[in-house]
Amino acid sequence: MYSEQNVDIIPEKWYNIVPDLPEPLPPARDHDPENSSIDLLNRILPREVLRQEFTSSRFERIPDEVLEEYAQIGRPTPLIRARNLEKFLKFRGKIFLKYEGATVTGSHKINTALPQAYYAANEGLQEVVTETGAGQWGTATALAATLNGMKSTVFMVKVSYDQKPLRKKIMNLYGASVFPSPSTQTEYGRRTLQEDPEHPGTLGIAISEAVQYALDHDIRYLLGSVENCVITHQSVIGQEARKQLEIIGEKADTLIGCVGGGSNFSGFTFPFMDTDVEMIATAATEVPKFSHGKYAYDLIDTAGILPELKMFSLGADFVPKSIYAGGLRYHGAAPALSLLIKHGRIRTDEVDEAKSLEAFRIFSRTQGIVPAPESSHAIATAMEYCRKPENQGKTVVINVSGHGLLDLSFVRD
Amino acid sequence: MKLALYLTFPYPDRETFSTFFGEMIRMRFDYLELGIPTGTPYYDGPIIRRTHRKAMEGFSFSFLKEIVNVSRLAGKKNYALVYYNHFHSSTGKFLDDLKEAGIDGAIVPDLLTDYYDERRQLSEEMKKRDLSLIPFFTSSTPDSAIREMTLLTDSWIYHGLQPSTGIRVPVSIDLMVSRIRKLCNDREIIFGFGINSMEMVRELRAEGADGIAVGSSLVSYMDSNDRQGFRSEIEMLGDAVYD
Repeated sequence: MYSEQNVDIIPEKWYNIVPDLPEPLPPARDHDPENSSIDLLNRILPREVLRQEFTSSRFERIPDEVLEEYAQIGRPTPLIRARNLEKFLKFRGKIFLKYEGATVTGSHKINTALPQAYYAANEGLQEVVTETGAGQWGTATALAATLNGMKSTVFMVKVSYDQKPLRKKIMNLYGASVFPSPSTQTEYGRRTLQEDPEHPGTLGIAISEAVQYALDHDIRYLLGSVENCVITHQSVIGQEARKQLEIIGEKADTLIGCVGGGSNFSGFTFPFMDTDVEMIATAATEVPKFSHGKYAYDLIDTAGILPELKMFSLGADFVPKSIYAGGLRYHGAAPALSLLIKHGRIRTDEVDEAKSLEAFRIFSRTQGIVPAPESSHAIATAMEYCRKPENQGKTVVINVSGHGLLDLSFVRD
Repeated sequence: MKLALYLTFPYPDRETFSTFFGEMIRMRFDYLELGIPTGTPYYDGPIIRRTHRKAMEGFSFSFLKEIVNVSRLAGKKNYALVYYNHFHSSTGKFLDDLKEAGIDGAIVPDLLTDYYDERRQLSEEMKKRDLSLIPFFTSSTPDSAIREMTLLTDSWIYHGLQPSTGIRVPVSIDLMVSRIRKLCNDREIIFGFGINSMEMVRELRAEGADGIAVGSSLVSYMDSNDRQGFRSEIEMLGDAVYD
């Protein structure tokens, strides 16, 4: 899997879709009329990350140090022909998996954690902070910080913190301090706990706490999803997949991925945007942002410290059901992805927990890969797609954004 | 290079505005940009947002006509900076009033982001009245939209450097200028949003900008009633632009 000969599949540049969108991306807006939350980003994000967030450049050169680290953590990730799943489904076509679970932290999240940590360390920072829902982003941040000689602090959504004790252990092993959110570490967390001591936490609250913590301690915050620069970094997934398909002489008809904040899906599909490939984004039925959300300006974080973005959103105060796929619980979705969905370029699907669990079992038994609960949603969409008569003969690529080896309590014995 | 100066009209009140406008009009600059006050200046930073709230009371088209008249006699071109959400429900009447006040054209910063499907219609309405629609582009305007708007219009082009006015996040000026230049060929391009140092003006000049627009940095002189400081700020900008 970690073959040295394959490293030339890793692209040398990230791809930023903004200059190629069919209409202008609605810009970030200040939430508070008296202050500029956009200006405040100078104190929250590493400078280079902030520059990339607002850049007009279509391509961004990947620093050599980051390319080196990409190879170290398992890039390029494999593209696997899922023949067993094809047989199981009696599908007369081809299914490929782009397997992001093959990175050392077990998900795509490391693709953006590495450059953000690299830029922060380059700017002389000693510590970074972030939030995590399911734990994948916190794990990636913890490792990326350590590899770049920095400390890290992670605010983990309380319900996940309780459900997934192994996640905390890995983050600790990688050197991170982990707090369940809402926590007593920040004013916002303390206020939330005062109102409801049993609050299960949300990603919106955890983001608020991490951003507040960055401001309080004059350190920098790493972005896990939603923002443009994150999607730009994640473009390594799609660029690699496109090259890998080319090498084996295949052409994708359909790309399928899951959507929490939208970074794995966007990073996977955007590098194919100049083709006529069909794209399907799967959200959780329990977090129905595409079918019940509004395409409007909304807050990224519940506390409203960060600027507002125009996106499909269920509202920053939305408290989702405690489904296991924590990575899909976020209330909104990346602005560029939201715009392309509104525009009709990307189709959407919603899969509930029971259906995703069924896909999780079938996929584990046929392919041997235990998929992340989030990725299982995309697999469920793909399975249904491949069962339809009109889709026979197609070449389908699923982005399996992570493995689920740390999520096995998802399955009842 | 050209110099465009922005004032929210009439901030903070008619009398103070007239005093500072009187100072300004004797100085060298090319374009006067007058901000039409609105409750929702989404793409302005906190400094200009505050001027909008304050200026609303003193706004009238007859006063606008008075000011524009003086400015025209001084040889300046006059533009309105106005949000489409402010006149969306009464486009025809609003444009008639602008024309009647002697305005040459309008910059509409939210047209492409919030009313993309109405861009051709607004451009037509403005053409009918011989008003120039000044395309407003930023780093998040896609290439296709830049090309189309450049074809739809024949005026100069306004390019915002920062995500909103009066703030400063890191941007690559060289990349921004070369990108927009390549897409707009030999059209006149004026850069604004967040220009707050002479160093920035010099960099823009070196990269091939045709002009700069300044607004937020003038507000503090009006707030402290510092006419001397106001004049010397404009003089310094002029020196950097015209030298």
